[in-house]
Amino acid sequence: MADDLLRDVEQFFYREARLLDERRFHEWLELFTDDVRYWMAGRRTRYPQSSKAITVLAGTRRDDGDIEDELPLLDETKTTLIGRVARIDTGMAWGEDPPSRTRHIITNVEVEPGATASELTVYSNFLVYRTRAETEQDLYVGARQDVLRSVDGAWKIAGRKLILDQNVLLPKNVSVFF
Amino acid sequence: MATDVSRLVDAENGRISRRIFIEQEIYEQELERIFARCWLFLCHECQIPRPGDFFTTYMGEDPVLVVRDGNGQVGAFLNVCRHRGNRLCRAEAGNAASFTCAYHGWTYRNDGRLVGVPFIKEAYHNALERERWGLIPVAQVESYKGLVFATFDAEAPPLREYLGEMAWYLDAFFDRREGGIEVVGGLHKWIMPCNWKLPAENFAGDGYHVTWSHVSAIRAGFGGDFRVGADPTGVALSPGNGHCVMTVGANMNADPPAPEIQAYEEKIFPEIVQRLGPRAGTLKPVAGTVFPNFSMLKPTSRTFRVWHPRGPEKTEVWAWVYVDKAAPPEVKEANRLAGVRVFGPAGVFEQDDMDNWQACTQTGRGVVARRHPLNYEMGLGHDRWNDDLKAVASDYRFSESNHRQFYQRWAQLMAAEKWSELKS
Ligand code: FES
Ligand SMILES: [Fe+2]
Repeated sequence: MADDLLRDVEQFFYREARLLDERRFHEWLELFTDDVRYWMAGRRTRYPQSSKAITVLAGTRRDDGDIEDELPLLDETKTTLIGRVARIDTGMAWGEDPPSRTRHIITNVEVEPGATASELTVYSNFLVYRTRAETEQDLYVGARQDVLRSVDGAWKIAGRKLILDQNVLLPKNVSVFF
Repeated sequence: MATDVSRLVDAENGRISRRIFIEQEIYEQELERIFARCWLFLCHECQIPRPGDFFTTYMGEDPVLVVRDGNGQVGAFLNVCRHRGNRLCRAEAGNAASFTCAYHGWTYRNDGRLVGVPFIKEAYHNALERERWGLIPVAQVESYKGLVFATFDAEAPPLREYLGEMAWYLDAFFDRREGGIEVVGGLHKWIMPCNWKLPAENFAGDGYHVTWSHVSAIRAGFGGDFRVGADPTGVALSPGNGHCVMTVGANMNADPPAPEIQAYEEKIFPEIVQRLGPRAGTLKPVAGTVFPNFSMLKPTSRTFRVWHPRGPEKTEVWAWVYVDKAAPPEVKEANRLAGVRVFGPAGVFEQDDMDNWQACTQTGRGVVARRHPLNYEMGLGHDRWNDDLKAVASDYRFSESNHRQFYQRWAQLMAAEKWSELKS
């Protein structure tokens, strides 16, 4: 992939991160296509295929990262993302009052061709620091796989799959966006 | 020396001391007298359908391995190697004929028997009595309608007797149709910085908080017209032994707003009344807690969960999403989405709950704050035994009647040395 394309995608992600950190959620929503699927799941703890700790009786072993049919943490559409922002706008979303202060760090960006000529598949890592109220702090760390689609000369997010690396989530809730 | 909790829980006057939510000694006593004694939820049978399927969980703070052995029998054991106490099985779930400890390699069959000890001949001179060093089984394990429970106490009454009249209300969540329920995917696990009793009492009887804690999600359209429709009805019910259920009137819409679910529920309502009896035609159970830490919910999202205690100020939640096994695929999918979007750590309802429970716990660190009891007076004198419902019933949909019953049972168990001292 060309260097300028990579720079372009990185800049897009950094702008997106800034919109989130500045709580400009309505502008953030505009970055998504109407058909977006926004999905996040945590990781499982399983014996690896090669583990000799158990003798397997039946069935196939599954890896920790094999989580497609697990219960996700988020499985959103554009409509429900809009609903989540509308909820915060009511002034009564108590889990975000006082609001989370976030810092989105996006790294390890890799750009690959997408399913169509106007799309890219983009891999990245995220580290989201959240602090809130007096001393609350949490880290949300994981991998992101996006489908970026070129719409009228600008990138839109047409798919986002987020893998959060924790098994038992240590943050008390997931009330921030990624 | 056990703490005398009788002065800390004054259910008659609706006063409860904050000490029970914050003090380490009381917490230790709970582990002994509540968690090492009561029937606790382990998993749903559909999670371990085949011989060898296992699921690891906790009873209180004790790690437990639940496994279906070669004969199809479900057993539950301390997930602890008998040699030096290492955790035996490290995975959350899977399928295995045997488990080998990572420390020195002792191997246990999935029925608990110790079958392999490295160097047993040379180092133990064949003197180790393997049959005495199998995994420690729980005292009793039983299922009710696919829900697997266990107790560490051999003197605990049988599960069916422990559940008592709560069994009918469980049917109204988990056995509404032929085949009962199944769980969707895996489960959500997360840590909440609060005392375990706060979520347990919330699901047991706190209809009151819904209209304020969750108003943002309701206004943003995630809650349907549950409890915001005209003339809402419902009562809080305590069928005994500390178990609690919240209900709404049969005329109320108590289901996620998705059109697929709404149409499905309307269609199957007569079938449910037929199956469960006339009581199902007069009320709809919406949430509840099986004492002490197994809770369930039906409107907005179908979830059941265990509140694992992790010290006085910490709770580890394990939450499942469930559907009627007989429901058509589009209804299952709509329930899966409602389950994920509304409850769980990112759920638009639930994310606000943790925050409140956290502060309700942590302000109790103040010694002066701790001197002042909490108020559980709502509906005092307005709750009485109802013969039709076979439960202590409130006379209004919001009441702390269930809370008082829950804590009364808690206090009885905390005071009793053994089951025989308790009347059910
Ligand atoms: S601790 Fe398990 S084999 Fe030694
Ligand atoms: Fe709640």
